[in-house]
Amino acid sequence: MNDPYKVLGVSPNATEEEIKTAYKELVKKYHPDKYQDSPLKDVAEEKMAEVNAAYDNIINSRRTGGFSSSSSGYSSNGQDYSGINYYDVRRLIQTGDITRADSLLDSVPSNARNAEWFFLKGSVCYTRGWLNEAYQNFSTAVSMAPANMEYRSALNQMNQQRNGYMRGNPMGGYGNNDVNRQMDCCTSLCCADCCCEMMGGDLIPCC
Amino acid sequence: MFGYIRAFKPYMRVCEYDTYSAVYCGLCKEIGREFGFVPRFSLSYDFTFLALMDMSLNEIKMCAEKQRCIAHPLKKRFCLCCSKGVGYSASAAMLLVYHKLKDDLQDKDIKSKIRALALLPFFKGPYKKSRIKYPELANNIEKQMILQRKIEQDKCAGIDMACEPTAAIMQEIFGALSSERDKKDLMRFGYLLGRFIYICDAFDDVKEDYKKGNYNPLLFIFELNDSKCEIPVERFDKIKDYVTDSINFTLGELAETYVKLNIEMYKPIIDNVIYLGLKNVFDLVKSEKFKRKLREEKDNERSV
Repeated sequence: MNDPYKVLGVSPNATEEEIKTAYKELVKKYHPDKYQDSPLKDVAEEKMAEVNAAYDNIINSRRTGGFSSSSSGYSSNGQDYSGINYYDVRRLIQTGDITRADSLLDSVPSNARNAEWFFLKGSVCYTRGWLNEAYQNFSTAVSMAPANMEYRSALNQMNQQRNGYMRGNPMGGYGNNDVNRQMDCCTSLCCADCCCEMMGGDLIPCC
Repeated sequence: MFGYIRAFKPYMRVCEYDTYSAVYCGLCKEIGREFGFVPRFSLSYDFTFLALMDMSLNEIKMCAEKQRCIAHPLKKRFCLCCSKGVGYSASAAMLLVYHKLKDDLQDKDIKSKIRALALLPFFKGPYKKSRIKYPELANNIEKQMILQRKIEQDKCAGIDMACEPTAAIMQEIFGALSSERDKKDLMRFGYLLGRFIYICDAFDDVKEDYKKGNYNPLLFIFELNDSKCEIPVERFDKIKDYVTDSINFTLGELAETYVKLNIEMYKPIIDNVIYLGLKNVFDLVKSEKFKRKLREEKDNERSV
């Protein structure tokens, strides 16, 4: 229903700067403080949420590089034949209303589920902390639409974690095992050198 | 269920280890002061970590002095001398241990049943006392324990669903540490820790549960319910791979949340637990050495 660019009133080719100014204007216009005792309060709040979601959406999709594919996805596939609006689901996920997002998704019959559905279902699971299910859904989304960068970056992040990556690890690498492995490498080089020298050759010339 | 969250000692500086054991010691004494002698022996490293997080987030400086204690009567050790920072952990420990014992009562295993029956009277008082202090937390834990039992009865598939009650309990426990804006991150942090504990616990028991025909989500996922006496090796390896993936997802995500928390005080120790300790525990569980380690620790305590 809502193209995020239409919500902000900018063209899809606008620069990030232009988007930011448009966003700031709208925030000023709909700021809830202005409508505190006014009957328009609810409307303003709704508008505000919409503007925020649209802005986040544009910025996020531009930064992850999935902008062109997914943004056209909103306007054309947004209103799917299955009757639910994936853009609404995205907004619910962003505002943290996971339960409603999930029930909306579950209302789609299983034969009408496309890559976007699996991606969003994965996001819902991810937000809940159901990581195994999230991974499965992201994998399905990527296998259905391999070109979509947004789906792929979600899956990539989980694949990194699957291989033992932990952000901010001051010990570097993959924890204590890694140190042992480095040790192993050095020791085996030394051993190899000794063996070579015994046989008359030399692997490490300096020792 | 307990003892999975601990530091990896070989990589700790001596001063860090002193602080860590001082918190452990202080927590033990706090339980003694508040709840009596017997509950002291239920203490595990998980709650030391909770106390450390509490002290870190609420910026409580350590005041420690060398004291004697019953577990180590010969040597004076560093010990927290005030109850600030460990009070909440002590109460949370009592709430959880009580429920764990009540859970054991319904166990099929006669040994743990008798043990629970013998210990339970000592924990009734402490449970009531903690419940009065933290009524909301106690109610939430109770609710999740009921859900846990229901999940076990219904034999739910899916590891995510099976983890939910334990994770939700830890989410509540950690969420209560701070009322500020990082509450949401703390709750997710707790949730993921709970997931880690549950998956470790499930894998730790998988062989025994198979033999005895108990419910275990892993057996259910891999459709192993025709109880012979051993799990076939190739099936067991598959379970192991699956569990390793799940643990890695959980720890990866835990680190994402941990970074957001911006821990400053006691950071080296907490870092050690998050990045080394948990991995080390899982490696031990995976190679089926963790239970032996716990037993050895208990024997050490007894011999002293």
